[in-house]
Amino acid sequence: MSTTAIPTTSAKEMLRSSTLRSSWGLALRGLRNIRRLPSAFVPAMLMPVFTTIAFSGTFAAITKLQGFPTDRSVNWFMPLGICFGSAFSGVGLGFSAIRDIETGFYDRLRMSPTPRSSLIFGPLITAWMRAILICIVVITIGLIMGVRFTSGIVGVATLIAASLGIATICLGWGLGLAFRFRDMRGAAVMQLTMFVALYLTPAQVPLPFTTGWLHAVARINPVTNILRLARQGLISKSSADSLSWANTWGGLVAILVLSVLTLIFAKRGLAKLDR
Amino acid sequence: MTMAVATRQTLALTKRSTKAILRQPALMVPSFVFPLFFAALSADSFGKTIRLPGFPVVDSFLQFALASTVIQGVLFGSITGAAALATDIEVGFFDRLLVAPTARTGILLGNLMGSALFGGAQSAIFICALLPFGVRVESGIPGIVVMIISGGLIALGISAIMSAVAIRTGSAEAVQGAFPLLFVLLFFSSVFFPRQTMHGVYKTIATWNPISYLVEGLRSLILDGFSLSAIARSIFIPTGICVFGTVLALSELRRRISAK
Repeated sequence: MSTTAIPTTSAKEMLRSSTLRSSWGLALRGLRNIRRLPSAFVPAMLMPVFTTIAFSGTFAAITKLQGFPTDRSVNWFMPLGICFGSAFSGVGLGFSAIRDIETGFYDRLRMSPTPRSSLIFGPLITAWMRAILICIVVITIGLIMGVRFTSGIVGVATLIAASLGIATICLGWGLGLAFRFRDMRGAAVMQLTMFVALYLTPAQVPLPFTTGWLHAVARINPVTNILRLARQGLISKSSADSLSWANTWGGLVAILVLSVLTLIFAKRGLAKLDR
Repeated sequence: MTMAVATRQTLALTKRSTKAILRQPALMVPSFVFPLFFAALSADSFGKTIRLPGFPVVDSFLQFALASTVIQGVLFGSITGAAALATDIEVGFFDRLLVAPTARTGILLGNLMGSALFGGAQSAIFICALLPFGVRVESGIPGIVVMIISGGLIALGISAIMSAVAIRTGSAEAVQGAFPLLFVLLFFSSVFFPRQTMHGVYKTIATWNPISYLVEGLRSLILDGFSLSAIARSIFIPTGICVFGTVLALSELRRRISAK
């Protein structure tokens, strides 16, 4: 018995190490693609910068509404910009997967003795690194514009956690669609669904300020919890939306559940691609 | 070539251009769906902002957003026509038109007229889509007619500028690449929020941005009623952009022909 158990453990270890190596290799390729194909990443970087700058100025007056949870519009819109950028980082890797499928590179990956899971974990690591890069750039711009983290470093951590969460969800969704559509039609569906999911939330004003159908939809949209998680470190301390466990756990649960669901969606899509 | 023949050719090319836009639902549909989506979204997001100091007197945010919806749709739609012209250049159809006994200006004007018709139709559709939700146009039917004409002129002007890009680059991708520029211009204007509520550098940029004046002309017809000032802003400013864009596109056309 012991003689059979040892090779099994060893095989598992080998597989794990091979998965990690392959995932890391694919992650580095994803990062190198930023330099090789900047047009694929630049929009994901420009979008949050633009959202932060344009929204903060155009809609600055909304902070004058009675009960608005912050007196600085940039505090309100910077997390939204980061969430948009992280979402684009995720679906952007879905676009890359489509391109690889169309050029035949994916067939070569599938034929190689690479663990299947690395075809998902590799892009996931890239999406996280891109999301971190977006956070660094946008937070720097935000600080120049006068952003104030009311809860200190914990507020930065919750914003980054939300950013990584959205990148994970959008990557799973993007890859799942890429493996099913296998052409650029999938890209339009990725962008549209991501855009709608993020906008059908209190993206522009706090939930109590929304009315009608948007209020009804935003209340049940799990992305609302993720946005709350992202924003809580920038909200005035006196507001009920400021940093607290009550404003945190909902976002973490939403990230966990949506990440698991979308990564399963991607894994099943990959299995279909294999068939 | 007689004037009558040139006119007939231009009309034929206008018809073709209109059909070309309608045949690309994947490009055309977003120019309808997104502005209406944003109108619905803004109405329920910014409903309470209409009481802010400096905000114009309106019945609802949707009434304020009608002009924004028209401008967004028309601007996005006008790219479709220019992209179709670039595609004609890419596939060689444009060269075939050049070697045919066709009036050179007719090739361009036909395309622009197609965009203008589409822009006018878009304006009418947006107005009809929002009227049932309690949006009141203070200037009544004459104002709506002016808004539709203005929508057509704006589409013509922007399409002319984009056509200049199409003729210079011969690439539909380059024309589509100009889309973010329009997006930036839209956000740094008074399209989504009134200039009176802005401050500092944003107010200055919005004041210099011509898009602000296009939308404020239409907004004046919706909120203030029929006035000479509103008509002037709704018609003369777009006409100025049309003249500038058409001259630019024609000079690019001449440059392209002489280069061949």
